[in-house]
Amino acid sequence: MNKKGKIVVWTKIYTPGSDFKKYAPYPVVLVELENKEKIYGQLVDYEDSDLKTGKKVVSVLRKVRSSSEEGVIAYGVKFKPL
Amino acid sequence: MNHLIGYHTTQFGELWDKSLFDLVEETISGVLKQTKLTNKQIDAVFFGNMLAGVLENNLHSTSKIAEILKVNIPIFRAEAACASGGAAFNLAKTYLEANSNKNVLVVGAEKMTDYSPEQTITALSAAASGEEQEAGLTFPGLYALMANFYLEKYHYTEENLAYVSVKNHFHGSLNSKAHFRRQITVKDVLSSPYVAFPLKVLDSSPISDGASAVILTNNRDLIKKQKNSVTVLASEVVTDTISLKERKQIDEILATKNVADIAFKNAKITRHDIDVAEVHDCFSIAEILAMEDLGFWKKGTGGQKIKEMSTMYGNGGSLIVNTSGGLKAAGHPVGATGIKQIGEIFLQLTGQAEKRQVRNAKYGLSHNVGGSGGTAVVTILAV
Repeated sequence: MNKKGKIVVWTKIYTPGSDFKKYAPYPVVLVELENKEKIYGQLVDYEDSDLKTGKKVVSVLRKVRSSSEEGVIAYGVKFKPL
Repeated sequence: MNHLIGYHTTQFGELWDKSLFDLVEETISGVLKQTKLTNKQIDAVFFGNMLAGVLENNLHSTSKIAEILKVNIPIFRAEAACASGGAAFNLAKTYLEANSNKNVLVVGAEKMTDYSPEQTITALSAAASGEEQEAGLTFPGLYALMANFYLEKYHYTEENLAYVSVKNHFHGSLNSKAHFRRQITVKDVLSSPYVAFPLKVLDSSPISDGASAVILTNNRDLIKKQKNSVTVLASEVVTDTISLKERKQIDEILATKNVADIAFKNAKITRHDIDVAEVHDCFSIAEILAMEDLGFWKKGTGGQKIKEMSTMYGNGGSLIVNTSGGLKAAGHPVGATGIKQIGEIFLQLTGQAEKRQVRNAKYGLSHNVGGSGGTAVVTILAV
């Protein structure tokens, strides 16, 4: 968590699969971290103007899905703009 | 040399009154009738299908085909996401290389419209990496990443992409088996709702039902007796990472580049020889990248080249692309697509493509992609 990086490319999903239906539309970004590792994640707490290549972001822990097959809330990595 | 001697396809579309195996049975019976072969003359079957195991808890399809065909021969299923059909064809060709005087049936089929869009989208996502699925990236989402990267890098707009769909819907209007027979305009594409930015509904191939079949043989006596026959000059498969982010370039499908190079080398012909091609246009951006990665267009020029519409039927170009309507307008029952693409080239090379017949077509290429580029299949045929 709290890893900084920048957006390599982004999209906004309007028609999701079953697990993400209630979150749509949501942006997904591919981020290159400072250590050059690439990670996908959804962008949260964003303005549309944050959706651009090169935008600096930081990784945060967020709820990914409210109901997983295991019956627990699934948490995972998302990003927010810096 | 292996020869393709017959092709049949069912209608592509929303076929709610037919099951997966109704479609399989229809197309098998169609291709046998066309080639005047009996079930007993088939030595092996290769079946391309992706989703039956996921959507309808239906595996062991090979045995079901044995039941339909009333035979007890080797039958295999190939799965490589949307390249399942192309992969099945490649395995059939390889089988013939190891066995002389055999006739092989290759069937591709998919049943997708009996489920909600979310269920089908989730099932299709099985062809993406776990990390991609967990981030909520859908299939359109992955191609949207490629599209956004490409448009930004080469300074194109969504309008450049739209011409792919306009061309392929025009071709679909000439193909009675196509899912969509309606012509559309650039304005229609641009005003359709987003699926995954920058891709819209009319940039995307539909969810379709359908089945297609071809017969391949290396039996010389049988080839001589057949009215229509084309030679398989090459059929090659290349794989790459399942994850888009693991690839060096986001706006290039390296598997396509590599498989095309191998196929052209083995076929001993050049890109200029190809008269007709069916390329994998699951999304508008995919056709542009395919044309570049197959080596027909220089990297980065595709956005401009597609606007010239030289690959549209009737415009006098030297290479016509996706005369079937492509995945966009002919429809995309994923397991069937790779077979339908090869079948469309067969129709063109044997003068059976009716209203969309390209004059004097001698060489054709089909290009089938699985996932976001994790598998690529190229087949080159000649008459």
